[in-house]
Amino acid sequence: MPDEPRTGRRYVAPGQVVAAERASRFAAAVGGADGTFSPEAVPPTFAAVYCLEPTLAQVFADPELGIRLAGLIHAEQSFEWPVPVHAGDVVDASAEVASIETKRGLTFVTLILEATNQAGETVCRGRSLLLMRGEGR
Amino acid sequence: MSAIPPPSEVQVGDEMAPLSRTVTQAQIAAYAEASGDHNPIHLDLEFARRVGLPGTIAHGMLEMAILAEAVGRWAGAYERVRELGCRFSKPLLPGETVTCTGRVVAVDAEAGTATLHLEAISSRGERVLTNGRAVVRLRG
Repeated sequence: MPDEPRTGRRYVAPGQVVAAERASRFAAAVGGADGTFSPEAVPPTFAAVYCLEPTLAQVFADPELGIRLAGLIHAEQSFEWPVPVHAGDVVDASAEVASIETKRGLTFVTLILEATNQAGETVCRGRSLLLMRGEGR
Repeated sequence: MSAIPPPSEVQVGDEMAPLSRTVTQAQIAAYAEASGDHNPIHLDLEFARRVGLPGTIAHGMLEMAILAEAVGRWAGAYERVRELGCRFSKPLLPGETVTCTGRVVAVDAEAGTATLHLEAISSRGERVLTNGRAVVRLRG
């Protein structure tokens, strides 16, 4: 059943600095023993750092939304990068609850993500699907 | 770095060079540190077992980052990766090797883009990432 009051809730994380050092640590973690691919670039899924983490932290902390971390599953993720992200960019990130519904004892939460750079350009759009047991709250 | 052929030569059915990577617990810990995702299911064996997992599991976003690298290598540059998405279908456990594969399913000559279908399989034979899709810029 759709839950109107929770749909449309929006979480903003302004001023996320795309730090070169952090991006290179991220790329090194992804490469592991194989080493870093394209060390000068910001890896595409560094969006996890400048967009996903700072907004999800607020999503998880919102008692009105009622997401429980225990048993929460990140089920799907997609991103689009209309303009490349560069080290030194400062982006404003946001996440909005596009839908939250419970079916057969599972709650499906769809978030729409967006990040805009210092020039006002949209550098990233995304969609996350989270799954949790029960109805939340 | 393996460059992709010019747009006129990329064809539907082309296979992306597979990328295999063995993901260790140390790498998962490094990714947790680098990404800020310290969920204990990735880091704490006892916690992971308590919530019904066989052990700690890799972050889905770490697997997706490896998938992005596979696409970036095929495209010749990370900046050519315009879209990427996937479903996190099964967990990847530390010590397992993940292999990312992809195939070109559409080429838009006018826009200069190719669309790939992607997936990732673990060395245990589990399809860890499914419904993968990327759009890649072929020039510029």
